[in-house]
Amino acid sequence: MTVTLLHFQVLAAALFSIGIYGVLARRSAVLILLALELMLNAVNINLIAYAAYMEPVRATGQVIAIFVITVAAAEVGLAMAIILRLFRNRTSVDVDEVDIMKW
Amino acid sequence: MPETSDSVTSGVQWAWLAPAFCVAAFTVIAVLGRFLPRQGAHLSVLAILGGFVLFWYVLREFLVIGGGIYKVDWFSVGDVTLTWGIVVDELTVVMLGLVTFVALAVQVYSLSYMKDQPGPFGWYFAVHSLFAAAMLTLILADNFLLLYIAWELVGLCSYLLIGFWYERRSAAEAAKKAFVTTRIGDVGLLIGMLLLFNETGTFDIAAIIHVAEQGAISDGTLTAALLLIFLGAMGKSAQFPLHVWLPDAMEGPTPVSALIHAATMVVAGVFLVARVFPLFVLSPDAMLVVAIVGLVTALIAAAMALVMTDLKRVLAYSTISHLGFMMLALGAGGYTAAIFHLVAHAFAKALLFLGAGSVTHGTDKTDIRDMGGLRTKMPLTFITFGIGALALAGIPPLGGFFSKDEILVAVLDGRNPIFFLLTLVAVLMSALYMARVFFLVFYGSLKRDNDGAHESPLLMVLPLAVLAALALTAGLLAPGWTSDYQGFGAWLFYDEPHPYKVNVLVMALSVALAVGGFALGWAMYTRGDAAPETTRGRRRGGQRREQDAYVQHPIPARLQRQFSGLHAIVVNKFYIDDLYQWGIDRVALAFANFMALFDRIVVNDTAVNGTGDSVRRSGRTLRYIETGKVYNYALGMAVGLVVVALIWWLALPYV
Repeated sequence: MTVTLLHFQVLAAALFSIGIYGVLARRSAVLILLALELMLNAVNINLIAYAAYMEPVRATGQVIAIFVITVAAAEVGLAMAIILRLFRNRTSVDVDEVDIMKW
Repeated sequence: MPETSDSVTSGVQWAWLAPAFCVAAFTVIAVLGRFLPRQGAHLSVLAILGGFVLFWYVLREFLVIGGGIYKVDWFSVGDVTLTWGIVVDELTVVMLGLVTFVALAVQVYSLSYMKDQPGPFGWYFAVHSLFAAAMLTLILADNFLLLYIAWELVGLCSYLLIGFWYERRSAAEAAKKAFVTTRIGDVGLLIGMLLLFNETGTFDIAAIIHVAEQGAISDGTLTAALLLIFLGAMGKSAQFPLHVWLPDAMEGPTPVSALIHAATMVVAGVFLVARVFPLFVLSPDAMLVVAIVGLVTALIAAAMALVMTDLKRVLAYSTISHLGFMMLALGAGGYTAAIFHLVAHAFAKALLFLGAGSVTHGTDKTDIRDMGGLRTKMPLTFITFGIGALALAGIPPLGGFFSKDEILVAVLDGRNPIFFLLTLVAVLMSALYMARVFFLVFYGSLKRDNDGAHESPLLMVLPLAVLAALALTAGLLAPGWTSDYQGFGAWLFYDEPHPYKVNVLVMALSVALAVGGFALGWAMYTRGDAAPETTRGRRRGGQRREQDAYVQHPIPARLQRQFSGLHAIVVNKFYIDDLYQWGIDRVALAFANFMALFDRIVVNDTAVNGTGDSVRRSGRTLRYIETGKVYNYALGMAVGLVVVALIWWLALPYV
């Protein structure tokens, strides 16, 4: 079986959907963060697959994927810092309880 | 299109220097005046003197070589090129001489008159300079745009000068009235001018006349444009029903009245009609309106001059009346007659106003009821004022006689006999009110509190003497004396020259009415003068009674009793001012109040503040739909993403 672009698309779509489900369904901020990472990786897969199949020479997709990974690392660092502060303050990371900024 | 006709270079092109001198004087005095000796007043006199000298040069060049139109480009917009240009023709030369001379006389007189008056001395002369500059530009302008700029500047300067003593409420009000009333006319002029521009694509007066004479402008449009332009002339020349500002303009210093009434402001309207006279000739309807307005103005103003008791106001109404004569002459096709009367009247009226200023200077009075018997106290003023009065009344052989004669001939030729008869009535009244003022001020017995009256200083009497000499001799320009000079009409004319000739019937009537009117005035106002009446009144009441001049003179007193209703109407200026006041209070201000209310309630409270309030109110209500739960927002984002994707997917085939 040859691996075609479609396989990568399906894989990426599946990963992305799992990610969305995770973000919407989980209550724990840490797990939401994990789900977010899944979505980012789904995007990365798409980028690299398209680059490899559509325009193998210039490798633009790969470059952007590396960029996304970098940004994701920074994001995780920041988000974990926020979550730690949250835990220190409220002894919980349940996002349902974090609604004091509404009005 | 008549272009520059300088096949032979004529020196008349330097005429533009005359207004330039005055602008320079204005600028220097306004900016540096406070550092100069006597606040730079002499600079102003020097500038206008320069203009006057230049006039003689221009006159010589004009007579020897000829005039022309000289212009430089200003800027271009699309197909339209606007120019600064001057036109030098007979009309311009006459006006140039008149304006520079009268302005010079008035400024020399003012040097003395204004010395002990309140107010900034230098500023007074600065505005005088600007006034002269504006007027000179007005008469030199070859296109409507430049003319309009000068026209508005004249209006501004008259505002500044009438309101020179602006701390006095009445002066400020009078200045405002003059400005607003003439503005009504100015709007007419602007619209008329733009209408002609729309038809012809140019502001150049000569070009517009050329186009109109080809018949390229429809009769209706031309008449409308001319009537609008005439509205401007009515405002500036104080024609009925826009005449109300001029008597009030007497609030300014007396020399200003002389300048405004003789040489500048008010003749601008007559000049404007004369400048575009070839257009008026093409529209008989417009001509008829001009004639009717002129006649009505001449009649009602003369009637009011007969009953006013303020010296300067009598002269003001007399001016209005004579401007009416000029307009009437123009409306009857008497182009020459109008301009000649303008010149003759300017000398006489400047003389009379400066004389009135001299009387006021000597007695500190303005009401003719407080005067009388001044001929011994102020002999020079008496003689010169007398000459002015005789000239204006039209007694031969003074200036006013010839010009009035010409007007009568023109009216007889150009209009139906009713016009002629009514003009004769106005002529009679003109002689009568001049006699009234003259005899009431200088004859009769001296009022006791005028014992201290004195002749004015030399600097004030000198312009009086020069103007008197001119008023005496101006009429001599009318007839032809040599084969080269066939009379004023053979030199300044529209269409074809008409050498001076005598119409015996008209002349006899005119002389009879003028002399008769003056004699009647003498009979009415010198006999039965009863100084005892005054003293008796004073003795009895301890305080002087408010009494009319007529009370002292039996004939006018009886007439006034007999026609008390009519007298009341005339003394109250035919209630025209009251009508305007009513219109302003009850119509204009009421409408303004309504609009102010509309603005406050509908525009401000509802539209502007209403928008802000509604946003604030809806925000206050809608903020409760926010939960602050992260997953709500995340769900919203996900749903939104799906919706966008769906729309894109469905719409893509059609893009």
